[in-house]
Amino acid sequence: MSARASDRLSSATLAAAALIVVLIFVLYALTSAGYAAAQAPPQKAEAPPVPAPPPKSLDGRYGLQVLVATLDVYAEPNRASVIIAELQQSAQIEALERRDAWYRITLSDGRTGWVDHVFGTTGPNFSVDVAPAWLRTMPSAAQATPTAAQATPPAALPDDWIVQRQPMGRPLEALIPAIDPNLVLPPAALLPRESIPVPDRWRLMDELGFIHQRWYDPYNPNTLKGDRPVFGEDWFVNLSAVSDTLFEFRQVPTPIGAQSTQVPQSNDQFGGSRQSLFNQNLVLSLSLIKGDTTFRPPDYEIRFVPVINFNRAQVDEVRVLRIDPREGTTRNDGIVAVQELFLDKHLRNVSEYYDFDAVRVGIQPFTADFRGLLFIDQPLGIRLFGTRDNNRWQYNLAWFRRLEKDTNSGLNDIGKPLRNENILVANLYRQDFPVPGFTLQGTVIYDDDRENRSVYYDNNGFLTRPAALGDEQLHSYQVTYLGLNGDGHFGRWNVTGSLYYALGTVNHDPLAQQKVNVNALYAVAEVSRDFDWIRVRGTGIFQSGDKNPFDGQANGFDAIQENPQIAGADTSYWIRQAVPLIGGGGVTLSGRNGVLAALRSSKDEGQANFVNPGLALVGIGADFDVTPQVRVIGNLNQLWFANTSSLSVLRNQGSVNTSIGTDVSVAVQYRPLFSQNIVLNASAAVLFPGAGLKQLYAFEGNKTQYSILANVLLTF
Amino acid sequence: MTRAGFALRFATCASIALLAGCGGGGGSGAGGCSGDCQAASPNALTIADVQQVLAQAVFEAQARNVKATIAVVDRVGNVLGVFRMNGAAPTFTITSGTGATGGLEGISGLPSEFAAISKAVTGAYLSSEGNAFSTRTASQIIQQNFNPGENNQTSGPLFGVQFSQLSCSELNQHAAAGTIGPKRSPLGLAADPGGLPLYKNGTLVGGVGAIADAIYSLDVDIQGQDTDIDELIAVAGGSAFPAPADRRANQITVDGRTLRYVDSEALTSNPALAPPFSSIVGIVGSLVNVAGYGGSPVVAGVAFGTPASGYRPDTSPAFAGLNAYVLVNASNVNRYPPQGGIDGLLQAGDVTQILKSALDVANRARAQIRRPLGSAAQVTVTVVDTKGNVLGLVRTPDAPVFGTDVALQKARTAAFFSSLTAGAQLNALPPANYPTAPSSYVAGLRTFLNDPASLANGIAYSNRAIGNIARPYFPDGISGTVNGPISKPIGQWSIFNDGLQLDLVQNKLVASLTAGDDSTGCTGVGALTNGIQLFAGSVPIYRDNLLAGAIGVSGDGIDQDDMIAFLGFANAASTLGAGIANASPAIRADTLVPQGEGTRLRYVNCPQSPFNGSSQQNVCAGI
Repeated sequence: MSARASDRLSSATLAAAALIVVLIFVLYALTSAGYAAAQAPPQKAEAPPVPAPPPKSLDGRYGLQVLVATLDVYAEPNRASVIIAELQQSAQIEALERRDAWYRITLSDGRTGWVDHVFGTTGPNFSVDVAPAWLRTMPSAAQATPTAAQATPPAALPDDWIVQRQPMGRPLEALIPAIDPNLVLPPAALLPRESIPVPDRWRLMDELGFIHQRWYDPYNPNTLKGDRPVFGEDWFVNLSAVSDTLFEFRQVPTPIGAQSTQVPQSNDQFGGSRQSLFNQNLVLSLSLIKGDTTFRPPDYEIRFVPVINFNRAQVDEVRVLRIDPREGTTRNDGIVAVQELFLDKHLRNVSEYYDFDAVRVGIQPFTADFRGLLFIDQPLGIRLFGTRDNNRWQYNLAWFRRLEKDTNSGLNDIGKPLRNENILVANLYRQDFPVPGFTLQGTVIYDDDRENRSVYYDNNGFLTRPAALGDEQLHSYQVTYLGLNGDGHFGRWNVTGSLYYALGTVNHDPLAQQKVNVNALYAVAEVSRDFDWIRVRGTGIFQSGDKNPFDGQANGFDAIQENPQIAGADTSYWIRQAVPLIGGGGVTLSGRNGVLAALRSSKDEGQANFVNPGLALVGIGADFDVTPQVRVIGNLNQLWFANTSSLSVLRNQGSVNTSIGTDVSVAVQYRPLFSQNIVLNASAAVLFPGAGLKQLYAFEGNKTQYSILANVLLTF
Repeated sequence: MTRAGFALRFATCASIALLAGCGGGGGSGAGGCSGDCQAASPNALTIADVQQVLAQAVFEAQARNVKATIAVVDRVGNVLGVFRMNGAAPTFTITSGTGATGGLEGISGLPSEFAAISKAVTGAYLSSEGNAFSTRTASQIIQQNFNPGENNQTSGPLFGVQFSQLSCSELNQHAAAGTIGPKRSPLGLAADPGGLPLYKNGTLVGGVGAIADAIYSLDVDIQGQDTDIDELIAVAGGSAFPAPADRRANQITVDGRTLRYVDSEALTSNPALAPPFSSIVGIVGSLVNVAGYGGSPVVAGVAFGTPASGYRPDTSPAFAGLNAYVLVNASNVNRYPPQGGIDGLLQAGDVTQILKSALDVANRARAQIRRPLGSAAQVTVTVVDTKGNVLGLVRTPDAPVFGTDVALQKARTAAFFSSLTAGAQLNALPPANYPTAPSSYVAGLRTFLNDPASLANGIAYSNRAIGNIARPYFPDGISGTVNGPISKPIGQWSIFNDGLQLDLVQNKLVASLTAGDDSTGCTGVGALTNGIQLFAGSVPIYRDNLLAGAIGVSGDGIDQDDMIAFLGFANAASTLGAGIANASPAIRADTLVPQGEGTRLRYVNCPQSPFNGSSQQNVCAGI
């Protein structure tokens, strides 16, 4: 570990870790204190006074309801007499006589007995109503003569009686049974006349003794997980942590160092191509939410997501990881990044279905389409969004400015100035269109890049803006993306598709060395169908390529920042690995976690490049849900460049074949807990190079290029 | 060359002629040739052409109200006309503008004609039918970083080329040799914008150079577009003979970076309206005859590739089928036929095979600086013995002329530095004859390598390895590092003060410029007659583990030069056997890791995708 990296990492990490720990404890203390306060029982007297018997009933009838778990019925109004029956809690029964605290009741078998109002230590054994409405509607057990009201047709009476009494849990008296020591009491019924005070509805289950919250238990209601307010009635905290550990082993064409090499006799441009990577992210998410956390959108949300990263890379050649060859073939780096930091304000509800308008300000995640094809990032921005027509319409109106990325982690680096770029987004989603189960989205995104003021080098010292390509002149561009995206299913066919058209101008394209007009197309489609536990997929991608790098037209499509979840995504070699265009400038064929053959200096930090070879991909794949815990995913993609003229120019090489090759990948996902809390991923991909790639790169001993990933995701 | 081969090439040109005006009139600027037009249909600048160039250049200078000195040369450096406008600065100053001092920095009082000729020669020498390079291109590829200003990038691929074509080179000819080229250049190659190649019918016929600002410098900042008065005058002068658009430097990439041709072509004048030369000569200015170079009266250029140019197809059976060209003297006799070395380690037959194998690799190699894409590399190949004697020199038809001298410089440099006596020879040089004592570089190198036996221990230095220790940064290009031991440190360093390379030749060069010293022998070291060179493209060669000489290649990308030398020689060695071999890996310079800095010297770097029409890669592995 270089001293610089380790110092930076250790101090920053310690500070951040300390901060997080303190924060957690403070939060927990707050929530516990609040909870404890709320739990304090409402004035329970230690020695309950003997309740004064209620006034005597005018007609001598009393309505009783049993409050204790069981209430003994005595043959005589004293506790020394024989117990002849037992009533259960909530039983409602009529008493016809009172003698001090004793009430005479009639049992269902016609016998009468006495119950004691004051027996016990914690309160009255039953409630007494001197004029119970419910009782009046019942025929009196004591009155033989029906009243006029009670002479109504008997047919109506049992119905009414049932309706009113069934919820009360009748019949709840019992003749004395044989005592079963194993008897478990039935659940307490809802008592209209009794309520157990609880602090709020969020703690209902706790109060009733069903739940004992443990701060580390995410599966049960947990104050740290937004299940209970932390203060007031509607301020919630949601805290989560994700540990993402990655091991990656790969073989990528690697240039030897220009002015120094790792080993002697490095006589050719291509050197040892084995590389390994370890990356550890600890993602913490802290949300403070005001409002309901269930159906209704919250009124406010403040979210802070710091990420603590450490990464280590090892390669075979010098000057790959850092521009200074003296820094060797191993690199340790790390950062504390801020991926989210925003305030979300619920502006208003616009319908009874909780359609709403809301605004979100700050560093926030945003994805422009269903599969992360055009713009997926955590930029700084202001976003107005909401729904209409019972969520059938959704919209976003946003202005974003990307944060500079930390080169080796790809995370937001808040220590650097913002990118000088304005991204304006307007999109509209329509659910269940054209058929139920399919969502259509139209989008317009305007990318106004003004990064033509100063040169930018990445953390490893490589020129990134402008790219080390063409005449390296600083330049800017204004490009509008018109997109139509859909995702969902037509019957049993799952369909996702995107169509983007980019148009605009680059004020000075570094290869054309003039102002160029951008006209480029990007089309992506994936169709899948489930057969029991197998999902079979077909994928097609087309990215237009540039035909003549020196003319005033730029026909290669490039996205703003992609992370495509398609065609195997990061398990595929082509999408996962950034293959440098060795000898053709400081650019890569396609970026890491990118499918577009865009010839950018960096997917994260570079400018878009519309003079590129484009791409065509045809793929098939299948997901096998082998068990609920294990999913196996396979993908087979055939790739071509759309037009290799830009590659030919950059490499000063005669016509380059369009065939990139065949990308075969297999991934296994294992979820031991049947949940996302522990996810283990492993994947292996091989790229069998086609004629074009072989013309561009050396493949050691015609070895195929592989990419092996192992990933452990732990989520709290 | 077989008859069929000629016929094929002719047919190629004919088909190009139909498409791109190969055989057509004077220069639409579009299209171009593929290296065969000149051979099929020789072109040259006529007297009227030269006069037109001068008149149109003058017309632009007048439109801009400046006074210029303008020179026109042919492809082999014959000075065809030099015109100095009345009131033009008679002298100029050499400065890089970087604050560096020493070397040639700050030298002033030299006649402006020297600058104009050097710029014209540079435009002609660096170019070919496949590439049109200007002095601005030269500026871009000889600085401490490539691109200039791109932090921590390695140096320009032609680092050091400015000190070639020197007056003291015995290879480069003087005016006394008639039209035979290649001619010397007064200041070597120029990096000051304002020198351009001239084309007719897609073939390179010469160059034009202009100086009006009295400053001989370079462009250290390539961000943005300059408006350079010298360059605009040269553009006007060359407007009737423009480089084909798709051969210009700005369509040629080196490591993905396009090269610069001219920054501004926004002329104030309309060259087509320029008055005839006859109406300006003696009125607006006058022709100048530069002693030892010419320039007045205006003369016609020679067609490149004809015996009068000093370059012609080889007719010997030895190189049949390889499209070889040779240098000839005024008697049309090959100046450098294969011959044995003075120390008997290489025989004429060995040299022939080495040259043949190198040409064979060159003819298959993917060119790095040529259009159209897919062209073969075009180079000059030379073999020297341990004393720097030329044992043979051949080239391909359209190799740029600058590489003739440079290939020899490279071969001599590798042979010299790999010898057991290099240190002793440098130490023996009288310090008084040099701005900095050469022995101080030897001492510095020995300290740097922490080996007092360096330059006496038989380490095999290729030109690439020497380049590594001849840069103002070590490792090459990395800011804030120490200088290589045979370079000046960065504060003093400039392209006009680069260390041992210039120090060895400086006094001789200055004597030539100021005193008309036309004698040959630049350095005082017999084996380094025409000076050393600092960019890649040579390897020493051995017989029975004894240093036998070196092979030097120049003309295309430096990786191609490396491969043609290294792989070409390896192929020859395997054909020849008999103990002829590349340096054993154990003694190559890439075993050296100086100063514990973790920076290993390089030996060779063969290019990616080395051969046209093949997906072979890493062809130099294991050699």
